[in-house]
Amino acid sequence: MSRHLAWFFFAMVMLAVSAPLQALNYEVGGCKTGSGYVNFTTISAAVAGVPAGATIQICPGVYPEQVTITQPLTLKGIGFNNANRAMITINPNGSLAPNVTSSINGLPFYAQVLVQNINPAGPVSIIGITVDGSGDNAGCSAETLAGIFYASGTSGTVNEVTARNQVNGGCGWGIWVENGAASSQTITIENSSVHNQGNGGIGNFGIGSGGISAVSIVPPTLSAAIRGNFLSSTGGEAGLGVAGNDAILSETNGEISGNVITSNPQFATSIYACCDSVVVSGNTVANNTAGFGIEIYSGMTAQGNKLSNVGYSIVAHSDTATTIKSNTIKNTLCGLSFGGASSGTISGNTLNDSFYGFANWGGPPIGGNSLYNVDNVMSTTSDCP
Amino acid sequence: MSQRLSWFVSAVVMLAVSAPLEALNYEVGGCKTGSGYVNFTTISAAVAGVPAGSKIQVCPGVYPEQVTITQPLTLQGIASNNSNRAVIAINPTGGLATNVTSIIGQGLYAQVLVQNVTPPGPVNITGITVDGGGGNVGCSTSVGLVGIFYAVGTSGTINEVTTRNHRSSGCGNSIWAENTAGATQIIRIENSSVRNFDNWGITTLSNQNTSTLTATINGNFIDPASSALAVNASGMVGSISNNVITSAGVGIGSLAFAGPITVSGNTVADVVGGIGVEVTSGTTATSNKMSNMNNAFFFPDGGATVKSNTVMNTTYAFDLDCFVGSTISANIVNDSQFAFQYSRSQITGNSLHNVDTIQTGSCP
Repeated sequence: MSRHLAWFFFAMVMLAVSAPLQALNYEVGGCKTGSGYVNFTTISAAVAGVPAGATIQICPGVYPEQVTITQPLTLKGIGFNNANRAMITINPNGSLAPNVTSSINGLPFYAQVLVQNINPAGPVSIIGITVDGSGDNAGCSAETLAGIFYASGTSGTVNEVTARNQVNGGCGWGIWVENGAASSQTITIENSSVHNQGNGGIGNFGIGSGGISAVSIVPPTLSAAIRGNFLSSTGGEAGLGVAGNDAILSETNGEISGNVITSNPQFATSIYACCDSVVVSGNTVANNTAGFGIEIYSGMTAQGNKLSNVGYSIVAHSDTATTIKSNTIKNTLCGLSFGGASSGTISGNTLNDSFYGFANWGGPPIGGNSLYNVDNVMSTTSDCP
Repeated sequence: MSQRLSWFVSAVVMLAVSAPLEALNYEVGGCKTGSGYVNFTTISAAVAGVPAGSKIQVCPGVYPEQVTITQPLTLQGIASNNSNRAVIAINPTGGLATNVTSIIGQGLYAQVLVQNVTPPGPVNITGITVDGGGGNVGCSTSVGLVGIFYAVGTSGTINEVTTRNHRSSGCGNSIWAENTAGATQIIRIENSSVRNFDNWGITTLSNQNTSTLTATINGNFIDPASSALAVNASGMVGSISNNVITSAGVGIGSLAFAGPITVSGNTVADVVGGIGVEVTSGTTATSNKMSNMNNAFFFPDGGATVKSNTVMNTTYAFDLDCFVGSTISANIVNDSQFAFQYSRSQITGNSLHNVDTIQTGSCP
């Protein structure tokens, strides 16, 4: 056989092997059928049955199942006829036992969509899916309910998702991502609608409930970008000083930007960003009466956020420098509280309609900000009461 | 006298005349005193007593008075010591008789009334709180309450103001500007905190087919006491942008628009059971963020352009009421029970995610 001919045969064989693979589409729900489609009746069967890296199209419909993903893939809701919502719900006949333990706080979770032990390594992306937690009322003593849970060592993107009704007696989170492993992971959560978590209940595990959580060991091994999401009625009704109950909880590094957070219960926190170099920017926070708008720690930045009708708008828990600039704050009890810090970049902020402008500041008089209709420029007690 | 000397004398005279005028500052409340300051004890006395075009600095404190401004000037709240809030409050012993009649025929008790401004010129209000607590004058077609009222023919800017507690049995309004036939009036309402009212938050009315009121409503936070209307833009032209509107019955109501309005960059949320933005013919609504409401966009007629908005967690994203001629494109809808209601044709070119039913309702 000539060398040319050998190449020709080789190419033909490659085509024969690869062509069917390229043509295959993976579908759940039966709205796309026929040649080129591999059909599954459940999402669980699909995520186990497709090749690594595949995209699974989910038809509109209700899928009462608990989904565990252990290989890289994309789960994508599609439109069909007049509908465009593929919804994963609690299986009324299924077990409500916890299926994962957080490697960060050791607590048992019931995850509706669990991403863990990904092999081969690669991202898991979830796009255009609704995860509804109605029906899991096992309660705080049994577990914390999470709509989507990315376990240690996993990475990927959650985009245009709806996570709702993870109530569970006050221990429910819409989306929880974590990394307790040493190797770094990157997770993006964007453009999603997250609402009705916790329903004002008081979590008794000290982690309560909320919308989106990204947590990691220290020093952080998770970079989380949480951006463009809309969250409402997400936190539990925390008592002051009770940890948890946050619309967005970030104890890792990355960014929290462009989110709209409204109707967080009083005493809850809209954005809690702790412990590393998170930048909190361009968020809109409203109607978090008596609660905290943005909490940050040393070295962190809060910039260009809009806060209104919030109890304590921006609170820095740090006696070292933070950067708080170009934020707009209206109708608040306490505008900026500094945790006793005496230095930092505090500039270009505009406060209108505030009972206290600044509080708990240890440095020289603060200039470079615009204050209007502020009853007390600086709190005369150590912090806003 | 030589020409040079003449000039010199003239210059000295000019200095002598103008220097004292330049040095005068007008103050209310007693926190700024001494040479160069003219002091007033009430805002009413100051707005009547200063030269046209002056700036009046208002010290922190409570001013229980009804203020009528009839000349161009600037009213500006200032800081003193640790405080930075000048509050115009209802005078508990002043009676609650109406002091102006609006173009819709309703008599209003206006806490700050701008009318018959002579000579013509802008009236600017900056950094003042107007508190309507105790001002319940009742509610009827002939009686209502308003915090700041710019009457027919007046212009100016409201910036970094707080209005609060305008509750009058359902006829409590925060800021109201209006015009009828005649020269176009220009009003800017910016960066203000407008809250706890029970009728209309920011009202900009013209009753002319070709609008005589050009308004800019920008950067405000608006939050009613109950399911009230946050922005009533009936008849204005101009822009409504970058506001944060929460807890309203209707966010931006644009019924009876006379001319083009741009509604952009607003965040409208928690309009539970209500409408986010009413978009009428000639309205362009772009890049707004709408969440947690019944109807994000409602179309009382056709001919609006609605582009590049983000809509989340609604019952209806677009309610077209069977009208045609509007452009709806490049919007992102996530988490909506219905994307399009009462649409005469299929609408494409938008990104839909987690929508239970894309099109609903049939038209005759």
